[in-house]
Amino acid sequence: MTTSPPPQQVTGEEPRKRLHPLSPILHGAKSIAVVVAALSWQTLSQVGLERFAIVVLVLALGVVIFSLVGWLTTGYHVVGRELRISDGLIWRRNRAIPLERLQAVELRRPLLAQLTGLAELRLEVVGGGKTEAPLAYLTVRDAAGLRERLLALAGRSQAPERADGGAPAAAPVAPTLERPLLRVPNRQLVISQLLTPQAIFLPLGIAFVVTQTLLEAQWTFIGIASTMTAMAGVLLQPVRRVLQDWDFRLARDPGGRLVVRYGLLETRSQVVPLNRVQSVGVTWPLLWRARKWLHLRLDIAGYAGEPGRDSKRSDRLLPVGEFATARGLVWDVLPGVDLATLATTPPPARARWVHPFALRYLGAGLTPEVFVTRWGLFTREMSLVPYARLQSVRVVQGPVQRWLGLATVYADTAGGRSGEARDRDLAEAWALAEQLALRARLARGPARS
Amino acid sequence: MTQPPVDALTPWPDTVVWRPVSPKLITVELIARVVWVVVFLAGLGIGWYFAPHWAWGAGMAAVVVYAIWRSVVTVRAVHAWGYAERDQDLLVKHGLLVRRLSIVPYARMQFVDVTAGPLERAFGLATVQLHTASAASDAKVPGLPPAEASRLRDRLTALGEDRAEGL
Repeated sequence: MTTSPPPQQVTGEEPRKRLHPLSPILHGAKSIAVVVAALSWQTLSQVGLERFAIVVLVLALGVVIFSLVGWLTTGYHVVGRELRISDGLIWRRNRAIPLERLQAVELRRPLLAQLTGLAELRLEVVGGGKTEAPLAYLTVRDAAGLRERLLALAGRSQAPERADGGAPAAAPVAPTLERPLLRVPNRQLVISQLLTPQAIFLPLGIAFVVTQTLLEAQWTFIGIASTMTAMAGVLLQPVRRVLQDWDFRLARDPGGRLVVRYGLLETRSQVVPLNRVQSVGVTWPLLWRARKWLHLRLDIAGYAGEPGRDSKRSDRLLPVGEFATARGLVWDVLPGVDLATLATTPPPARARWVHPFALRYLGAGLTPEVFVTRWGLFTREMSLVPYARLQSVRVVQGPVQRWLGLATVYADTAGGRSGEARDRDLAEAWALAEQLALRARLARGPARS
Repeated sequence: MTQPPVDALTPWPDTVVWRPVSPKLITVELIARVVWVVVFLAGLGIGWYFAPHWAWGAGMAAVVVYAIWRSVVTVRAVHAWGYAERDQDLLVKHGLLVRRLSIVPYARMQFVDVTAGPLERAFGLATVQLHTASAASDAKVPGLPPAEASRLRDRLTALGEDRAEGL
């Protein structure tokens, strides 16, 4: 790791570090693909291969130089309990990320980074609309060390002894001391993704295209190609998910944090402190029901704000698994919560006017640790919100509900998804809201002063 | 702790002492509505002038009827706003058609906004909004006199610092 000569050598302050020298090249390589795509095949046929190559080369060189300048001006260091990152040549930007706000840290290794032994470190901070400060790229060793250090600083309990030394944490931290929790067999993952609507409709889609081509002579190649492109976006989602969730492993590290690793082409490893878990969602998709499989979701405050497509699903806890596995896992993540004994009560029978079919599957319940809500006729879902993580409680009553004497209670979390007790009896809703507020206060109170 | 009893006959939100928002908010909202109605009517009128057709007139009538209905609702809706400061949390209720009650613990407060638009300022009103880490929380109290708004803001901030936890 290059430690640049620090411009300001304040006493006790740690020198500013640079990212790995290979990172501008990696950034450049990433943009070459974009450049080629933007130029498109049409340009290639117009200008000829040689010129095309020259244009690409020039653009790529420009991007690399640009990234090089970016690399030269980017630096990071830990000051006290803050991570400071400065970047930008013309618009200098200094960001101080308070580590108490740290929600989760993710180590991401895209394919190119895997080949070069580098990794990207992403910090999830609450309040930031997007992932704050992706440090791309560091060596795996440095990234893991920095991650360990940041997490140690973030968790107040273990902070003092490790933080002050300023020494880089022992590098190969993880594997020796971690306690593996589970590993999702890849076979199960593939089968589970075959049992999705997209995968089931894939043969239908292909059959449609084939018959169209055979029957209607006017269907040109372009027509087929555009249809296929349009379908690919939807139909390839199971494939993408298999690639993403490949070799899904969960473990507990010595500090009691959750370590999630997954991915085939781009491996990711996330560390989530357990007290940052905002809520847990359980889903039983219709097509998985024959196999009694379910899906667990973990809500962390940092991710919900990210409107991205795939990143939003990066908060999975269990891509696919049996009930017993999920039960053990939930017990690990939310101690004291047994998935098998979560009792919920349905809304009153007059809510049938609003939910003619799904009434049976609606429910809400207060257990000692979490607020449980259930819903969904085809895809059954359940959400568990620990009282300690409640942000606010809302009672909402629409006109139809008022007519029926019903109300909906929301338990808001920072994870973005609220626990939602739909269409409860009004008096019960008030009582529920009061209980939630009370329990949230009690759960908050003794935990920290 | 004021722990209201849960009773089926008098549900607890009714036992809380709600503080109303200033009735001047009605005037503010009505003026804002009148401005909009005038803009709409002007637009429709210009349309009528250039392309005479009875539909323009019908549109104008509809705008006026809608505005009158909304104004009647506004008067009642402003009376429906209320807030209460309890020991540990702020309660806000509002809405007429869709009734909402929010319970926001002070400990969860991230920041407090005090805003006042030009019209609100002219009438000496301000809006206080409490933000938590959850985007879904809505605890907004409009139509407060500036003194009350700053008192509420200071109190919320003080209580928030006292019990600060955030997440």
